Amino acid sequence: MKRMKDILKVMKFDFLTAKPLAFRAFIIVAVICFVLSLFFSPLISSYITFVALIFVIPLQSVADKCGFNKLYGILPVKRKNITRARFLYVFLAHFLSELLEGVLAVIAFNLKMYKVLPNQDGEAVQLIKKSFEDTTLIYVMIIGVFAFFCLLFSYMEMLAQIFGRENEMKIILITLGVMTAAAILLSVLNSYDMLPPINVPKLPEDIGGRAIFAAVLNIVVLGICLLFGEITASRLAKREL
Amino acid sequence: MENILEINGLNKAYDGFALKDVSFSLPKGFIMGFVGENGSGKTTTIRSILNMAKIDSGKIAVFGLDSVSDTIEIKERLGVVFDSLYLAEHLNVKQIEQQLKPFYKDWDSEEFFRRIKEFDLPDNKKVGDFSKGMKMKLMIAIALSHKAELIILDEPTSGLDPVARDELLDILTEYIENENRGVLFSTHITADVERIADYVTILHNGKVWYTGTKDELAEGYAVIKGAENDIPSEMKAKLIGFHAYRNGFDALIKTDDLAGIPDTLEYEKASIDEILVYIAKEDKYEKNERHS
Repeated sequence: MKRMKDILKVMKFDFLTAKPLAFRAFIIVAVICFVLSLFFSPLISSYITFVALIFVIPLQSVADKCGFNKLYGILPVKRKNITRARFLYVFLAHFLSELLEGVLAVIAFNLKMYKVLPNQDGEAVQLIKKSFEDTTLIYVMIIGVFAFFCLLFSYMEMLAQIFGRENEMKIILITLGVMTAAAILLSVLNSYDMLPPINVPKLPEDIGGRAIFAAVLNIVVLGICLLFGEITASRLAKREL
Repeated sequence: MENILEINGLNKAYDGFALKDVSFSLPKGFIMGFVGENGSGKTTTIRSILNMAKIDSGKIAVFGLDSVSDTIEIKERLGVVFDSLYLAEHLNVKQIEQQLKPFYKDWDSEEFFRRIKEFDLPDNKKVGDFSKGMKMKLMIAIALSHKAELIILDEPTSGLDPVARDELLDILTEYIENENRGVLFSTHITADVERIADYVTILHNGKVWYTGTKDELAEGYAVIKGAENDIPSEMKAKLIGFHAYRNGFDALIKTDDLAGIPDTLEYEKASIDEILVYIAKEDKYEKNERHS
């Protein structure tokens, strides 16, 4: 209980640190996404993820610039909870933007505002109309973008805190290199039929099934974020401030 | 007298530097000046008190609590002022207050804004744009707003103009009027210590060179001058930071060792500044002796 309280305090601290830097950008991106997704394509709502990034990206640089290490040393909170809070904050920022995207997509699908656009029989409007018919694509985009960016930023946060921001890019490039090599290897093996067939499960068709799938995905992403947080916290706890 | 801070046998080693058996205590109701040249270990000691540095051995008690196992409780009751601001520089005073308030059980917002007003700090300006003196006052306002019983200041006056230094020292003097409080004040500006400290701890090369009351320190050492040939042979070994020049010598000496001093030698009370200088000279002298 005490741990959760401390984590919430630190998350609020992080939010208040980022808010003045991110708020204007948040309003601009949110309004643009809202208008464009209502009139042109619900897919655009998934861009709201960038709002989450706006609330996450400045934190580390502010912490470095303003000597937060000293502050962390004098606040009556365990060091591990400060680290854990950052990872929960990253998850929450992405989760809230995912929810916002979902709500916005539902509104866009229901209002079908493209109908007020001129030249309804034109090619452009027909394309727009099509994007309002495919709910699967927008569903996949929202949960996919959420999961991808949330995991990427948690991973980057872990690297930055453990190895330092100056080494972070090197490690990301190495990680990308390894992943690319693995992907090439797998595709080569696949082209020679050397891999066993993999049955990719189909996405659920009904709303209930999709909601459960999204919930499970969110829980898995949360679990991974917490794991990254725990790894980082235990590494940093051994260091001096 | 009850001690608000007690350090016993603190050892902490880094590559090329170590705190060796550091021990001192600060009774409640007093200000301690914590002095020493740059690199003497003042900041490492403070970081050890705050559990920011992991100590190798020894024991640190703050309010009678263990600095490692009870660090959270200690930090609730402790105010810290560093030589530089540790807050988000793009925020204003109101936003800083919102950020810090949840961390302290005894946070008093009214007290915080009263102090901000008293210290003439603008509440709508980014704290990063504050002058150094204003930043110090802000950190003190934070410490006072959660009713800190002990304030630790690490080089707070370095880089401050005389007026800002004077204001800061007045604030500390007023703070210590409550005799349940204490102040540990690290600095290399010894004039500040001479002005407000009751106790002094001098750290030199990671070791405590002196710890005790300021008055005992002032009474305890003298600067001795004269012709080198006039120094009695038994006295020479007792001189600290001996420095010979063309027309004579000067050195620091314990006043207890002045008995039997020839009339040809002059002496006068040593200031803390002079004591620090002679301690440093003693190192050089010893090195030179070793080389020669």
